[in-house]
Amino acid sequence: MKLTITDLSKTYDNGVQALQNVSLEISKGMFGLLGPNGAGKSTLMRTIATLQDADGGSIFLDDLDVQAQKHPVRKVLGYLPQQFGVYPKMTAEFLLHHFAVLKGITNKSDRKEIVNALLHKTNLYEVRKRKLGGFSGGMKQRFGIAQALLNSPTLLIIDEPTAGLDPKERNRFYNLLGEIAEDAIVILSTHIVDDIKELCTQMAIINKGKVVLQGNPLQLIEQLNGKVYQKSIQRTEVAAYKKAYQVVNDKLFLGKPIIQIISEENPGNGFTAVEATLEEVYFSQINN
Amino acid sequence: MWYEIFKFELGYRIRRPEAYVFFAFLFLFSIMGVDFIFQGVEIGLMKKNAPMVIAKTMGAITGLCMVMVSMVMGVPVLRDYQYNTEALLFVNPITKRDYLLGRFLGSFTVLLLIFSGLPLGMMLGSQMSWHPEEDMLAFNVLSYLQTFGVVVLPTLLFGAAVFFVTGMLSKKLLVVYTQGVVLFVIFLLTKAITNEYLQGLLDPFSLTTLTQFAKGFTPVELNNVPISLTGILLHSTLFWLALGSLIFVYGYRRFSFSALASQPAGKTKIDLSVAETAPLADLKIPVALVQDSFQAQCIQLLELSKYYTLSLLKETSFWAIAICGIIIILINSVNLGTVFGVDSYPKTYFIIAELQEMSMFFFIIILLFYSGELVWKERDIQQYVLNDATPIHDLTSLASKFIALVNIYIVLMLTLMLSGIAFQLYSGYYDFQLGLYCSGFFVEILPYLMLYTLAAFFFQVVSKNKFIGIFLTLVFFIVNIATEFLGFNHSLYKFGGKPLGVYSEMNGYGHFLAPYLWIKSYWMVFGLLLLVLSAVLIHRGTATTLWRRIKGMRHRITPPLRYTVVSLLSLFLLLGSYIFYNTNILNTYWTNAQEQVFRVRYEQELKPLEYFPQPKITAVQLDLELYPEERSYILEGTYTLTNTTDSPIQEVHIQKRIASHLELTDVVFEGGATVDHRYAEFDYTIYQLLQPLEVGDFIRMDFKQTYYPKGFEEDNSDVQLVYNGTFFNNTLFPSLGYNNKYELQDEDERAVYDLPERADKAKIDNPNELVNARSGGDSDGLTLDISIGTSKEQTAVTSGQLIKQWTDQDRNYFHYQTAGPIINFYSIVSAEYEVQRDRWAFDDSTTEEVELAIYYHEGHEYNIDRMMEGMKASLSYYSEHFSPYQYQQLSIMEFPRYASFAQSFPAAIPFSESLGFVLDIDDETDVDMAFFVTAHEVAHQWFGMQVEGANVQGRNFILETLSQYGALMVLKSAYPQEKVDQFLELQKDIYEKERRKATSEPSLALVENEDFVHYNKGAINMYRLQQLIGEERVNRALQRFITDWRNYQGEIKSTTRRYPTSNDLLEYFRAETPEDLQGVVFELFEG
Repeated sequence: MKLTITDLSKTYDNGVQALQNVSLEISKGMFGLLGPNGAGKSTLMRTIATLQDADGGSIFLDDLDVQAQKHPVRKVLGYLPQQFGVYPKMTAEFLLHHFAVLKGITNKSDRKEIVNALLHKTNLYEVRKRKLGGFSGGMKQRFGIAQALLNSPTLLIIDEPTAGLDPKERNRFYNLLGEIAEDAIVILSTHIVDDIKELCTQMAIINKGKVVLQGNPLQLIEQLNGKVYQKSIQRTEVAAYKKAYQVVNDKLFLGKPIIQIISEENPGNGFTAVEATLEEVYFSQINN
Repeated sequence: MWYEIFKFELGYRIRRPEAYVFFAFLFLFSIMGVDFIFQGVEIGLMKKNAPMVIAKTMGAITGLCMVMVSMVMGVPVLRDYQYNTEALLFVNPITKRDYLLGRFLGSFTVLLLIFSGLPLGMMLGSQMSWHPEEDMLAFNVLSYLQTFGVVVLPTLLFGAAVFFVTGMLSKKLLVVYTQGVVLFVIFLLTKAITNEYLQGLLDPFSLTTLTQFAKGFTPVELNNVPISLTGILLHSTLFWLALGSLIFVYGYRRFSFSALASQPAGKTKIDLSVAETAPLADLKIPVALVQDSFQAQCIQLLELSKYYTLSLLKETSFWAIAICGIIIILINSVNLGTVFGVDSYPKTYFIIAELQEMSMFFFIIILLFYSGELVWKERDIQQYVLNDATPIHDLTSLASKFIALVNIYIVLMLTLMLSGIAFQLYSGYYDFQLGLYCSGFFVEILPYLMLYTLAAFFFQVVSKNKFIGIFLTLVFFIVNIATEFLGFNHSLYKFGGKPLGVYSEMNGYGHFLAPYLWIKSYWMVFGLLLLVLSAVLIHRGTATTLWRRIKGMRHRITPPLRYTVVSLLSLFLLLGSYIFYNTNILNTYWTNAQEQVFRVRYEQELKPLEYFPQPKITAVQLDLELYPEERSYILEGTYTLTNTTDSPIQEVHIQKRIASHLELTDVVFEGGATVDHRYAEFDYTIYQLLQPLEVGDFIRMDFKQTYYPKGFEEDNSDVQLVYNGTFFNNTLFPSLGYNNKYELQDEDERAVYDLPERADKAKIDNPNELVNARSGGDSDGLTLDISIGTSKEQTAVTSGQLIKQWTDQDRNYFHYQTAGPIINFYSIVSAEYEVQRDRWAFDDSTTEEVELAIYYHEGHEYNIDRMMEGMKASLSYYSEHFSPYQYQQLSIMEFPRYASFAQSFPAAIPFSESLGFVLDIDDETDVDMAFFVTAHEVAHQWFGMQVEGANVQGRNFILETLSQYGALMVLKSAYPQEKVDQFLELQKDIYEKERRKATSEPSLALVENEDFVHYNKGAINMYRLQQLIGEERVNRALQRFITDWRNYQGEIKSTTRRYPTSNDLLEYFRAETPEDLQGVVFELFEG
């Protein structure tokens, strides 16, 4: 099972080039799409999820042309968008039944079984008879994943799922995802580096509409090993250091700036070597 | 600071398209405003741009556009909540005063700019060339501006205040939508207030206020009275402004910035702790089967329909509209089928008609709003990202929304039916006719709603947002109604076809039902095609322009869909062809224009022949075979034509009735004739007699006429030959010479074709018409001998004595013969009748008895006794005070309620189903109108048959006014004075109301066809006369009038060819009036 994206391009009416010749090959398992806000992640996700048409290029799910054969793709698709609404006056159970019908699960007993199972799985069973208008953000997100899983999808698109969840909810969410990823292509997009670290076997970094790096996270980290150095400096010195070195990150620790640089050799000057993490990989790509 | 906010608000709104769209709509609508609001209502003597007319138009348009006011003023504060800017805005140091004032004034300014379209449009409209000069006053900008200020501005201020406050406090967009409707509903409620002053005061759109304001003036004076802030207008304005201010102050106080930022009630979050337990890690998620078969899609359709129906039923705004509607309807249903001030029994068809009329408005509102809500539902709440990624077919989804809305209509209709039944129960009437309730709503109204819903869906799909979609649908509605008035109304292209005809208990839906069903089916197929088109164009996924969606259509048309479209299209063409075959091939279809041209040519070609000397018909012998099941007949007849002129007659001109499927054949003249077909296109044939008809001589003319309708016509309105309740008169039969009824009657239309003005009645001294008793008088009296065959369940009745009745080959036959001559105006009815018989004699001695009969539809027994009493009492009175009754029988025959009159023929009175038969006469509070109308019709046997009036001005004084007098006297003899007074009160009310609308009011002596003069004023004035000079004297005058002028035997009539005029009649009145009252007589009848 493979999702092949070839030279996908999209330019919006206001001139923004959201995707520029994006090519990816994604197979079974969890695939992470990492990139800053506005990189084109959501556009790509929406296009794969048959909600949007690209201007050029193709997407193939095995033999299915995703853009021209939307209907068969939707039968095996599960999509959790970044932002969505639900009808506030309906109960979770009722709406989940509604989505099951929309997905073609027309057999009543089948439907009941799957809805109940998913309600349990997402821990919404206790509140299944409550109106969705009263759900918190985390609960709504859980509902979202429940509806995405109704048809046991082989292509699961999850767009920035953990933005707005507290750490506990985030963990719970990942546990759930981990279970599902075994038999399907799961594409997870996010701008939180940790998400990828915890879940994905393959990843790509996308920036300004282009794929800048792709591969196995561990391998990518390996490539940077031994080249990352950091130093604690004064706030006023930051600008000067940025000119002198390839600064990939300037963050704070206990209120004082620490800069990290990439360097083939030890730069000295008070820099200490540190282990490369995915964060450095990420920042090194997007700060160029 | 408020100025900043004001500027922002103003700037923001000016940039939005709504402002311009609203302005454009108001402007364009106002150009046609006066014509639209006043269509069908006679303005009478007022000019089209008189201040009063301008004022009423402005008031009405403002009322109709209240929704606009609500949309403009309801959103300013709501917007901040909607776009979540309130959190940003309200932490700034702005005061409540600045914020509210700025928002309100900014939006109100824009509202004023939008509504400037109203006076501007009207001003432009008044300058348009289609208004004739004499209908207009000189153009005066001030009248428009002043009227706008007095009538519209206070309403706008009130509306603005109320809508601003409700929008701000409710924070719900749907409330904003619907509040315009609520105000309209209140307006309708005020209609139920009987106190006129209160009604005028509480009318938010000033319409009844203006009527009150105009009360003191005559129509001519009103042309010059400006609409000023005085009297009731002032009170009303102050009231509404005060109310508006109160509401604004209330809102101002209630509002607080923190209240805005908090969630509306009912949205508190669930306690999180409930949902904190650990999930079941080892629960396996089952795999469910995803199906896409046709059966699966049907299940989806069913489940989704349930889902959407439920979601609509949960909308509070829906219940608000529905309940409002039902309340309004029940309040207004209090008077049903009122005729002459008396209510009818709450028959099911009356109730249905009332409910239909009142509820239509609400159904349309629900249609407009909720079609938008449904189509945009998932996009509005941002749920479409989930829905559109599922494999649901767009057609399934859209169709289920359609079904849901139709379910809502059905629910509402069932509620209306229940209210109707409740009302009947409350009135003690138990014949519910549930089948009729069902057909009244589900057959008459539901298809229409369904079709417009499909159109609304289509407009929603092609629009960028819900709001534009509603607007387009509304425009579509209006265009459809407007094109009807321009003459474009063939069922094949007028969307939705036509309404079903009137329901009669005698004839049910008759022959109207089948064509109606065919045409509705045709349009339903079109509607389904529209639905498929909508499904293929609807947004899916991220929003794209309409153009892109059109280009992408071919990807969305799957093979099954293609197959469906092809089938539907074929069905559509098939139905269309069948309908076309019926309306245009089997029958002739004429557009309005074509018909007009025909009439014009008829007049141009044949008018010169109008007074061409012709013989008179002196005897008619007919063999009529009626086939009610086919609505056809075969007639074989013989006219005896006598030369009553001074010279021999060479030519006989025969005018066949101009109608399709009517054939006149085998016209044979005794002695032979050659045929001249030069006017064949007008069905006017000239027969040159081989031997001239000498003076005083007579010949016979045989003919055969068949009528056999085929298929159905576009204009299905023939109600004379129906399955049960056939009713027609001899105007269907061939007549002699030119018939001026075929002329174009409307004076504006005549002007277009340069035709001379046409008077309804000839001048009182017109020598040509003085010798006619009716237009185209073909006869001075004839004997009638007629055999009628009809189906075996039916009875046929006409003038004359029934000398024989038999059955032959499963059909009923009746042979009638008149004892002496009757006027050339007789009718034939045939229906399944029950009969009540009685006898009357003037006294016990020598005079023969008169056989009385009332032929009525089974179940309509309510007032038979009253009618019988009416017949007897009138025969007694008229025989005693005027002259003996001239026939041996008198019958009343019921005919279906397609027309609402009663009419007198020799010894026969056809009486409409809806006129006397179902009146619910309360002896305490009502005048016995069944009795009165009977007495009036019986009086016509004297005034109209014993004596005829010359066909000139004043004819109706003799016929109608004298009958009113007779009936009034009979009423007086049978009922206490207060009933008479009550009756006269009613006449006065009608007279006052009608004369204000009239363009002219002639005296009784010169009356033409002005009903309110010869019926209502006539009754009052004749009553006055007998009060003045005494009933005895009036009766004596009439007795002498009859003796002198009655047909054939009148002392004067037998010496002259002319018929009496009102002048002749007045001589008799004057002879009985003392000197000092002569002036009054003049005043009453000639002044």
